Amino acid sequence: MFINALLYDGKNSIEHKVIIEFTKDKRVKINSHNIDISITEIEIESRLGNTPRVFEFPNGIRCKSIENSKIDEILKQLDIETSKTHKIESSWRLTVGAVFITIFFIWFSLTIGANYTANIIASILPNDVLNDIGHTTLEELDKKYLNISNLSKKNRAIIQAQFDRLTENEDIHYQLHFRSSQKIGANAFALPSGDIVLTDQLVKLSKDKKFRDILGVLAHEKGHIVKKHTLKIAIKTGISGAILGYITGDISILVTAIPTVIINSSYSRDYEREADEYAVSELKRLNVSTKYITQLFEELEKENKIDENNTINSLISSHPITKERIEYFKSHIK
Amino acid sequence: MEEKTTEKKIIEYKPFIFKGNSREFFRIWIVNIALTILTLGIYSAWAKVRTNRYFYANTYLNNSNFEYNANPKRILAGRVIVVGLYGLFILFSQYLAMYHLAIGIFVIAILALPWLIRQAVSFKLRNTSYRNVPFRYIGKTRSFYYFFIINALLPILLIIIISVIIHIKLISAILIFLVSGYIYIKFKELIINNSYYGANGRFRFFGTIGEVYGIYLKIAGWLLIIGLLATICLAIVSEIIGNIEFLSEFIHKIKAQMDNPSQPFLVLFISILMTFIYLPIIFFQKGLSDAYHLNFVNNNTLLNNAHLKGDINPLKLAWISATNILAIILSLGLLYPWTKIRYFKYKLEHIYFRCSDYEQFKSLGYETGSALGEESIDFFDIDIGL
Repeated sequence: MFINALLYDGKNSIEHKVIIEFTKDKRVKINSHNIDISITEIEIESRLGNTPRVFEFPNGIRCKSIENSKIDEILKQLDIETSKTHKIESSWRLTVGAVFITIFFIWFSLTIGANYTANIIASILPNDVLNDIGHTTLEELDKKYLNISNLSKKNRAIIQAQFDRLTENEDIHYQLHFRSSQKIGANAFALPSGDIVLTDQLVKLSKDKKFRDILGVLAHEKGHIVKKHTLKIAIKTGISGAILGYITGDISILVTAIPTVIINSSYSRDYEREADEYAVSELKRLNVSTKYITQLFEELEKENKIDENNTINSLISSHPITKERIEYFKSHIK
Repeated sequence: MEEKTTEKKIIEYKPFIFKGNSREFFRIWIVNIALTILTLGIYSAWAKVRTNRYFYANTYLNNSNFEYNANPKRILAGRVIVVGLYGLFILFSQYLAMYHLAIGIFVIAILALPWLIRQAVSFKLRNTSYRNVPFRYIGKTRSFYYFFIINALLPILLIIIISVIIHIKLISAILIFLVSGYIYIKFKELIINNSYYGANGRFRFFGTIGEVYGIYLKIAGWLLIIGLLATICLAIVSEIIGNIEFLSEFIHKIKAQMDNPSQPFLVLFISILMTFIYLPIIFFQKGLSDAYHLNFVNNNTLLNNAHLKGDINPLKLAWISATNILAIILSLGLLYPWTKIRYFKYKLEHIYFRCSDYEQFKSLGYETGSALGEESIDFFDIDIGL
C-alpha cells in the first residue's frame, strides 16, 4: 500500500516528494530516505477535516499527505486505532446530536442548574455580605431615585405594625424603608439583605385604612427575598454570560449582555408569579382577605394606563399588573 | 552564470490561501462544544488545539501549509491554573468578602502581566511551524518589563500630570493620540524584531510612527462619516414614522414609559434597538481598524530579504465584520463558524509574501514549555495581535 507524501527532515525547510509504503507486517518504508521502521514508532496525527495528515517520525522527520481517505483505509486494514473525534465529526447523526446536547445543556444550566447553584451559593453566603450589598444598593438608589418619605406618622405606624406582623419570628432580619419617588412612582421592591422599600406613591393608592392591601404587597416582596430571586437572577446572568462567551469565543462580552436582558425579563415573570403565590399563602396565614390587594392592583392598573389587550406588553413585561395577576388574587377571595 | 539568472528572474508576490470551509468547521465546532460539555470542560483544551489546527493547517503559502503543534495537556494545565486563580479571586471578592486575599491575587496578576504576555507570544510562535520548521521568539522577560514601565506606563503618567497642571482638554486629547501611537510602535518592535522563523529567518519591522497616526486619522474619518450617515438615516426614519399614525402612537407610548424606570418593556426595546444599530457599528469599527493595522504591519515587515504585503480593503473587512455580527445574532449563534471562516479567509487571502527561496531556512527543532501565559491572555481576551 502506497501513499504520496511530502517529507521534511526537520533540519531545514526543503520539501521532498516521497512515496510512503505500508507493508502487511506493519512496517513503514520510505525508500528514497532509507526509512524502514515499525508503524508503532511513528505518530499519526488524528484526522481533521481534509487537512494534510502529519506523520511524525522519531528523528524529527515529518511527512504530510492529503490522501486522507486512503490513509484511513490503510490504517483500518492494519488494525491501527484512529481518532474517534473525526468519526463523530463526519457523522451527520452525531453532529446533530452535538447540536442537541449543546441546546439541552444551555437550557438546563439556565433553569434547573441555575436554581440549584443559586440555592447552594445562597446557603454558604454569609449574612454580612448580603447586608453589605443591600446597604450599598440602597445608598445608590437613595442618591439616584429616592427621596425622604412624606407619610404621616400615623400611617407609618399602621404600615410598620402590619410589616412586623408579617415578619416576626423570622431568621432573616427584615427592615421596612419608607421613601418617596416621582421617578419610580407607585412601587415597592426588595433587596436580598431583607430590606424592603415602599414608596409613598403606592401608599396613596391604598383604599384601606388598615393598609391590608399594602400588607399584600409587602408579602409579595418578602416572597422575592424568601425565594432568593435576586440572587438567582444574578447567577443565571453570570452563567448565560459564561456560556455565550465560551461558545462565541473571541466575541466581546457586549454581545453576551444582550440576550441576558431578554432572558431576565422572562425569568422575572415566573418570579412575579412565585412571589404572588407566596403572598397569597402569607395573607391566608395572617387571616387577611386577598380582596384588598386585588383592589390595589386594579387601582395600579388604572394608574399605569396599560391596555390589558396589549399582548406584546404582557409578554415581555416583568412587572405586569395584568388581568392575569388580578384574576389570580381575585380567585383567592373568600 | 547561475547567479545572473536568479537576479533577472522577477520574484512574484504569492498570496496566502485558505482551504477550509464552513461546513467542515461547523461540525468540528459543534462537536468541540458538545464534548466540552460532556467532559465538564476538560475537553476544551483539545477543542482549542483542534480549532487552531484547522485554521493553521488550511493556511497555505506557496503550496505548503502551516502547522499548529501545541500540546493539549499543557493547555489544560495552564487553563486549570488560570481558571482556579480567577475562581478564587471571585470567591474572595464577591462571596466571602475577604478583600485582602482578593487584592493580593489581583496585585500578583498585574505584576506578572508582562511576563505572561511574553510567555503567550513565545508559546504562539513556538507552536507554529511551516515545512516542519518552527517559529521562535527570543525576546527577554526584562524587555517586556522595560516596555510596560518605560514605554507605556511612564508616558501615560506624564499625560496625567500634564492634564492636571494645564486644564485644556484638547491638549490632553492630542497627547493621548501621540502617546498611543508611540506605545503601539514600541510594542510591534518588541514582538516582531524578536521573532524568528527557524534558525536563520529573522523578522524585522520598520514601520514608522507617522504612518500609525495616519491610520488613526483614517479610522476616525471613516467613523465620522458612518456616524453622520447613521444619524441622517435615523432622522429620515423617524420622520417617516412620525407620519404613520399607528407607529407614532406606539412611539408615544414608549415615551410615556420613559419616565418610569421600573418598566422593563422599555429596557427590552432599547436593548433590541442597540443590538441592531449599535453592535454592527462597533464591529464595523473593529474590522476597519483590524484591516488598517494588518496592512500596516505586513507592509512594514521583512523576513530576511523577503517582503510581506497586505492589501486588505478596510471597508470590505468592516462590512464583513458588521454583517457577521448580525448573522450571529439572527441565527442564535449557529452561523458563528461561517462568520469566523468568512472573516479569516478574506483577511488571509489579501496578505502576500515575496520570497526567492523557500528552502533557505534551517531549523533549531521544537521546544516545549508552559501554556500559562497563553491561557491567561486567552481567558481574559487580551489582544496581542499575533
